[in-house]
Amino acid sequence: MSDIEEMLSVNEPNVDTERALARLRARVDAERIAPVSRGASAPRRVAVNIWIRGLAAAATVALVATLLTVSGLAETILTIFEPKQLVAVPITSTDLNSAASFGAYGTLTWTEQPRPYDVPDIRTAARESGMTVLTPGNLPQGVGAPRYGVMPKTTATFTFSAAKTTQAAAAQKRTPPPMPANIDGSKLFITGGPAVVAFYDDGAGTTGATGVTGASGASPFSGMPKLIVAQGRPPVVQSDGVTVDQLQSYLLAQPGISPQLAAQIRAIKDPSSTLPVPIPVDMATSKKVTVQGVEGIFVGDSTGLGSAVIWQKDGIVYGVAGTLTEQQVLAVANSLH
Amino acid sequence: MEVAERLRLGTVPGQGLPPAFEELFRREYAKVVAIAHRVVADADEAEDVAQDVFVSFYRKHPAEAHYAAPWLYAAAAHTALNVLRSRERRGKRDAIEAVRRDIQVPDPAQAAETAETRSEVRAALGRLPDRSAALLALRYSGLSYEEIAAALGLRQSSIGTLLRRAEDAFRKEVAK
Repeated sequence: MSDIEEMLSVNEPNVDTERALARLRARVDAERIAPVSRGASAPRRVAVNIWIRGLAAAATVALVATLLTVSGLAETILTIFEPKQLVAVPITSTDLNSAASFGAYGTLTWTEQPRPYDVPDIRTAARESGMTVLTPGNLPQGVGAPRYGVMPKTTATFTFSAAKTTQAAAAQKRTPPPMPANIDGSKLFITGGPAVVAFYDDGAGTTGATGVTGASGASPFSGMPKLIVAQGRPPVVQSDGVTVDQLQSYLLAQPGISPQLAAQIRAIKDPSSTLPVPIPVDMATSKKVTVQGVEGIFVGDSTGLGSAVIWQKDGIVYGVAGTLTEQQVLAVANSLH
Repeated sequence: MEVAERLRLGTVPGQGLPPAFEELFRREYAKVVAIAHRVVADADEAEDVAQDVFVSFYRKHPAEAHYAAPWLYAAAAHTALNVLRSRERRGKRDAIEAVRRDIQVPDPAQAAETAETRSEVRAALGRLPDRSAALLALRYSGLSYEEIAAALGLRQSSIGTLLRRAEDAFRKEVAK
């Protein structure tokens, strides 16, 4: 037995599959869980979809940061957030973990679920996303052919629940500040996408992490394709009358949100039109750059293995990332047409 | 026809799960539990993870999908790692208590010691980057390189190298 096998050893679990299946049947029945419909797009290539899911997860984090920034009072259904510019917001892993448990404050109901799928070519990507899909005019040496994925438009409703918050906090043995009565039961309507993502492996078809020595595991770019080019419509948030000033104060006062993050979000001058781009401080650094004639954010990981640039132009957010140098990533970004 | 289809899909409450899904469940449940168990070191928690993983698959994917098994394995590893990390956040005592339930030795002192060791090893696993931790969980649950590659969306030829790196990182993390 190897040392790791020994370290990870556990007693053989005594699994009763039929009992477990009965439990699952009961749950599906009680919670009226519906299966996927037969017509839903099934991913054709698992690998690409895993990448899109990763990006979707990153988008969710961005959305949570976005929700933390909504500001201004809306008495009726009103667009309270529609980004026109981007700002880098450094976050720590503790902030990320707190953001990840955002579901504890209420219920997120997908009205149109995020269902990314692969498409065979750029023409299909453009048709199914309804966007003009830009392609790089220049590719660094050794970058192979692209594969495309589409994330259709996604909509969701978030309903705040004081009861759920108390329950979740109790389970974690924490005491959050009480949810103001006018937040309890209020709704946010969130729209995101569509988006198109292109993955370029290197000429040999391997991902960027392969063959890289050193602490590649500490890099947010580890395992990434050589190059990713993504574009999509940014998230828009509407409210049915929540007192959003209070919402911001309430959310930023939650345990786990660092005072630094709270201060940075409060400092955003025009929160209703600024999309915060979360930068994991322990893994990456960021700076302002000019891309395609507009201001963008350049993100480099602390190991120097990867870089990314993100910008917004004409109502579309664009991103280029890869296991490439700053110059290479910016050259690709500026060559998009 | 429409009703028959709905019945087949199990969308009518009380009509049970589609046969193809039940078949998938019977075929893969033990393996999904084994992966989760390797990570969380608590049989009850591993079964809870497996339930969540199958519900999640049921909501989003057809049971006949060719990628069903790798999807379930990857989801088992990632969901279990999330459980592990949230347990770690609740504190050392909670983490030790969770693995203590799984240890069946008559000597309480020995059980406590084993629980502490297992808990420390799991804490180290939880500190690894997600992919490295998932690689270890899948490999040491008995999956082949081919199965791991399919589950994590990696090339089979790179699994050996990535696994060795993950093992080295894990040893360092445990020694901290």
